[in-house]
Amino acid sequence: MSVIELRNINKIFGNKISRVHVLKNINFSAENNQFNLVLGPSGSGKSTFLTIAGGLQKPTSGQVNIEGQPIEGLSSKDRDTLRLNKIAFILQSYNLLPYLTVKEQFVLVDKVKNKGNLDSSSLDSLLKKLGIEELQEKYPGELSGGQNQRAAIARALYTDPSIILADEPTASLDSDNVKEVGSLFKSLAKEQHKSIVVVTHDLRLVDFADKIYEILDGRMKLKE
Amino acid sequence: MFLALKEIKREKLRYGLIISMIVLIAYLIFVLTSLALGLAQENTQVIDSWHIKRIVLDKDSDINLSQSLITKKELSTFKLSRKDAYIGQASIVVKSKGNKKESAQFIGLDKHQFIFKNIKLLSGRKAASNREIVVDEQFKDDGYRLGEKVSFNSFSGKYQIVGFTKGAKLSVAPVVYGTLSAWKKMQSSRSDFKASAVVSQSSNFKAANSQLKSYSSGKFINQLPGYSAQNSTFTFMIAFLMIISLIVIAVFLYILTIQKIKNYAVLRAQGIPAKILVIATICQSAILVVSGLIIAALLTILTAVFIPTAVPMSFNLPILLSVAVGLIITGLIGALIPARIIVRINPISVIGE
Repeated sequence: MSVIELRNINKIFGNKISRVHVLKNINFSAENNQFNLVLGPSGSGKSTFLTIAGGLQKPTSGQVNIEGQPIEGLSSKDRDTLRLNKIAFILQSYNLLPYLTVKEQFVLVDKVKNKGNLDSSSLDSLLKKLGIEELQEKYPGELSGGQNQRAAIARALYTDPSIILADEPTASLDSDNVKEVGSLFKSLAKEQHKSIVVVTHDLRLVDFADKIYEILDGRMKLKE
Repeated sequence: MFLALKEIKREKLRYGLIISMIVLIAYLIFVLTSLALGLAQENTQVIDSWHIKRIVLDKDSDINLSQSLITKKELSTFKLSRKDAYIGQASIVVKSKGNKKESAQFIGLDKHQFIFKNIKLLSGRKAASNREIVVDEQFKDDGYRLGEKVSFNSFSGKYQIVGFTKGAKLSVAPVVYGTLSAWKKMQSSRSDFKASAVVSQSSNFKAANSQLKSYSSGKFINQLPGYSAQNSTFTFMIAFLMIISLIVIAVFLYILTIQKIKNYAVLRAQGIPAKILVIATICQSAILVVSGLIIAALLTILTAVFIPTAVPMSFNLPILLSVAVGLIITGLIGALIPARIIVRINPISVIGE
């Protein structure tokens, strides 16, 4: 069963002269154990695709299913709960609160969701795997770009989500860090059975993905 | 609370400056409230000490004790009980050798009536003759001594201070208690005046003469020269300071929230409910205001300890506490604008950046 499925998705912004058809009849599905990469230039509709997939906005037409359940009827509060429990967002920046240490970012999650998060040994091994176990008492402002992004990934994985949606997660990283993040996404898919969807124009991630899609002018196609 | 405390701890300088602003505003409000209260008390202290409910004045006096003179004939139909008393009031300047002149309010009393009987002495005794007076403690603070002989304006003769009393001020001037006979001698134009007013501790006391009118003590106090204007001025100043504190808190929290809006958008995208962020903002406002109030209260206590007694300030705990509660409410209202921004944050705004 697809963990995340988009059927015949259309998204239109504005009307009459300002009408823009951003997504055109998009069909997409992602399984467990899969690292899906969605490539496209700026303005192609990548971010809109990601926000609809994550339930942050509604499509003009079409249906989004998460773990087989349609989400269009969910209230705003239920969508918050869905994202908190099942979907993790990793963005290009602003992922971490600047006045909380890396460790306190996890405490904040505990304050909101006190069940189903990683236990301390799982968190320790995740931080070790990400190479940031020594940085738990540091504030985001004291970390490099790569360290910040790895801490953001750890923060996103802390709620043990089944789906990880990432928007340009490697945009500000050097090639070594891109390799690390790419390998991490791949291992999360294979070893922890996560469904990973990354939208980006960064071709350096291509080697790590199981499936590669391309969005151009609002249309999506699977690259062979 | 977690987010609120962590942010304040991390951004000490920023929040320290906001707390300093709140301290200054709260301290100013406390001091002005105490000053307003002190001045109000010095206007009415002696009247409050009599615990009167009604006062009868000449109906043409414009509810002004200084302008009221009541004749024996007008009072002939009055039958006074032990809850009623005559008072004769005159504005005087007290002079003595070696001491500075003091503007004062002379209150002539009948020694058989309740006001005279209820005078609380700090030292000395009550007046036994027309040439003896009991004066407010301000005279003592200004160097006057028991047994000292003083004169009033251009009135002939000397009066001897035989006692000091506490909390006897009328229209911000110290009171000189003497006898009604002494007061009568000051009214040289006519000899048939009996008193300036009749006061009563009974709420049913009525003027038994068409030339006289009975007023409630509240109405009489409000008509004291300058009393209402002064209270209104202070009330407006305190209200404006409250509004300023509301704006200061709202503006600072608004700016801080705007700076955090992208982080909050990401948190919202990650499913953190807006309620958590709104509560953090309201807690932050409460922490800032309460911290500011605690420091301002300490400064106010220091002021109360070191301020000279001549400054008419009265530090009334219940009133200052209610002002503090008012400021906390103001702070919480100030947090509503940033709270509204947080509720309206669109998590999509940060995706694609």
